[in-house]
Amino acid sequence: MQHRSRMPVAVIGAGVAGLTAAAFLRRHNVPVVLYEASKQISGLAASFYDDEGFSYDFGAHFVTNRLAAAIGIGDRCRDVHHYGETVFLRGRKHSYPFGLAALPRFAASALRSRAATWVGVEGRKPTTAAEWFRARYGAALADEVTLPLVEAWSGTTASELAPSVGEKLQANALGHAIFLKLAARWTGRAVANGYSHEMPESPHVWHVYPQGGVSLLCRKLAEGLHDSIRLESPVEQILVDRGEAVAVRANGVEQPVSAVVSTAPCSVLPKLLRGSNELDYLASFRYRPMIFVNLRFHGRGLLPDTVLWIPEGQFPFFRLTEATLSMPWLAPPGKTLITADIGAVVGDTAWTSADDQLGELCVEHLLPLIPDARSRYLGCHVLRTPFAYPVYHKGYEADRIRFESSIAISGLYSIGRNGEFAHILMEDVYWRTLKRMRQALVTRGEQ
Amino acid sequence: MADRDLSPIHGWDHDRGRTHISLNCLYTSKFRTRDRADLQTRAESNETSLKALEWGAFRRPGASDPLPKKSAGCAICESDDGLPVAVGEDFEYHTSPDTFLAMACQKCGLVYLNPQPTLEALDRIYPPDYHAYQFSAEQFGLVYYMRRRLEAQRLLSYCGSLGPEARILDLGCGDGFHLRLLRTFGKPGWRLEGVDASERAVEAGGRQGTEIHQGFLEHLDLPPASYDLALLIAVIEHVPNPVAVLEATWRLLKPGGTIVIVTDNTRSLDFALFGGRHWGGYHFPRHLYLFSPASMRALAAKTGFEVTGLETIVSPVNWVYSIRNGLVDYHAPRWLIDRFSLRSVSSLAVFTFLDTLLQWTGRGALLKVALRKPAA
Repeated sequence: MQHRSRMPVAVIGAGVAGLTAAAFLRRHNVPVVLYEASKQISGLAASFYDDEGFSYDFGAHFVTNRLAAAIGIGDRCRDVHHYGETVFLRGRKHSYPFGLAALPRFAASALRSRAATWVGVEGRKPTTAAEWFRARYGAALADEVTLPLVEAWSGTTASELAPSVGEKLQANALGHAIFLKLAARWTGRAVANGYSHEMPESPHVWHVYPQGGVSLLCRKLAEGLHDSIRLESPVEQILVDRGEAVAVRANGVEQPVSAVVSTAPCSVLPKLLRGSNELDYLASFRYRPMIFVNLRFHGRGLLPDTVLWIPEGQFPFFRLTEATLSMPWLAPPGKTLITADIGAVVGDTAWTSADDQLGELCVEHLLPLIPDARSRYLGCHVLRTPFAYPVYHKGYEADRIRFESSIAISGLYSIGRNGEFAHILMEDVYWRTLKRMRQALVTRGEQ
Repeated sequence: MADRDLSPIHGWDHDRGRTHISLNCLYTSKFRTRDRADLQTRAESNETSLKALEWGAFRRPGASDPLPKKSAGCAICESDDGLPVAVGEDFEYHTSPDTFLAMACQKCGLVYLNPQPTLEALDRIYPPDYHAYQFSAEQFGLVYYMRRRLEAQRLLSYCGSLGPEARILDLGCGDGFHLRLLRTFGKPGWRLEGVDASERAVEAGGRQGTEIHQGFLEHLDLPPASYDLALLIAVIEHVPNPVAVLEATWRLLKPGGTIVIVTDNTRSLDFALFGGRHWGGYHFPRHLYLFSPASMRALAAKTGFEVTGLETIVSPVNWVYSIRNGLVDYHAPRWLIDRFSLRSVSSLAVFTFLDTLLQWTGRGALLKVALRKPAA
């Protein structure tokens, strides 16, 4: 085993997770080779710009001052002073979550379900996401708001989703959430609230935005790694020998390795593995593809707050984000950017529609919200990703839990948002990756 | 005002006043170095420096470049298995646009800055107006005399058992403040020497007639096994490698010799209250390692010293600076910020009283540790 530890670790994917892993290993004097399929680093953390001065990310990414300081880019970040969410329901907007909770029908239903839980009437453990949300938020709020959103977001009915969807999305306890909201108001900073599950949230952790977009994180992490990064090098195979990852093949060349750290969607792993069918069960794991239609408009403040949730099914999108309300610099003065999130299936009508058609579709459906949307509309920039969110289908929930606890192939690590099959945001990706890589180092040391 | 012309629909309220904090407000309330007025004038006459404020932490003019930094881990456990405890910036001297992360080692509890400024950044993070270079009776008046008296008492308590010809080394001696106290109040036969890396400090000390070796202890050629006592007063938190410093001190001490360390205490009430960001003991980015009694014992164990004394001592400084940093961070009015400084006798008095109560419970703001090199 001794000779193998001198071989490099192959890292697959140069996004936040892959670069964090590679930088960590390099810091610990472990040789690494980082394979990236595309022509550039950053993955889903890529940022795009146009000539008019608009910038686009894959959805509205938020970074915290804590993550920026950890990576060492605090000097190139700007504070986000405001972040808020609202819900559009029956033609009216309600602030989230407290405005919704104040509606009598929701409050009464939530109290009823809480009371039932306390007195043990509904002691049965929820078996689906639908049951979980109804027990947690009350049937009225769940049926009218949460479940339609979860369904649009996942492309699956809530009764087919595992209850872990709710557990994984669960934000801070109510008291802590109120405290953080007040802290945000008091400090004038967009205090992170329900963003990080890995590290504690406090009034001292707030959102910041990096100069030039979130890809700055990746560029910083990649410093000192350039000799290890192989662009346009999709890994074609991961070779497993007697239950241990021993080599990768990319661009037709086989590279013996001491370990493989994959950030690829875990459902892809069975196709890559040679010499083991241990992970075949992962092939059934599904991700929800997402289309982000970035609509450019004249004006600012077209939405009531940064994020507007749209649970009603007549709209093609379930979420609208006017990122300029939090980050005014993402659009030139006097103009704004609204991102419409459309859940899709690869190859369906929405996925294959031309960008202009998608823009028109969104503008058409924005009219009830922004009556003069058409006259303000300047055009759109569409981003598509087939791997936006993991779908926790209850059909493979047992397998998902198994995967969460162990991958069963020695020297193979599946990390990052897609690799872990977890709905985690950028800061959690960072801390969890460090944790996993520390464990990997310990294992390596023991070999 | 295109935004206003194209006003929002449905009369939805857009109170975004908070999102645009005026830079002028930042200058008037946030700036607090001694030569503030001068820097402010320069900044206002220089539009580019105002623009430069937009990204990164607030900084003084001319300090727009980030500091050179390197990643760091726990100096004792040699692991980087820490959890983040605070994000801060240089609230006191505004020497760079960087933000800094304090982490706590999961094994020994040592709090460390990660990443840390490299040695090349020393001149920037200790600017000419750094207080240690300017602590004088002229500048600080009554506070100077009170501190001098208190420090003299403390120093003599560390040195009380030394013989008439003891050799004492003050590590990180600055301009030789402690050495002069020992000269004045100690035994006449004591041989007093200091070590400091800063040229400015050594020059200042030289003018006062103290013997100061310039450089890093690890690299100086001082006589081994020659010293009876080494002092590390408010120093160990500044050094990039505290283990190496203690190992070097070990070589210089006679068998049975003692090292006395005074440093900020992370097991204190002020840390518990302000440790998330504004704690004065962070002194971002100059304090690289911060200790608790447990991590101090771990450091002693690692370097082979015996712990012969470990107690907390009273200091109002971290209290005053914790509050001050919070006020600076939240753009409090200037007059309020000025109520909390080393020149403010009233706030120092109040927090000295408070910390005295805390010290009785073993939770004073500073740690004082005596470590002995075993005689055999």
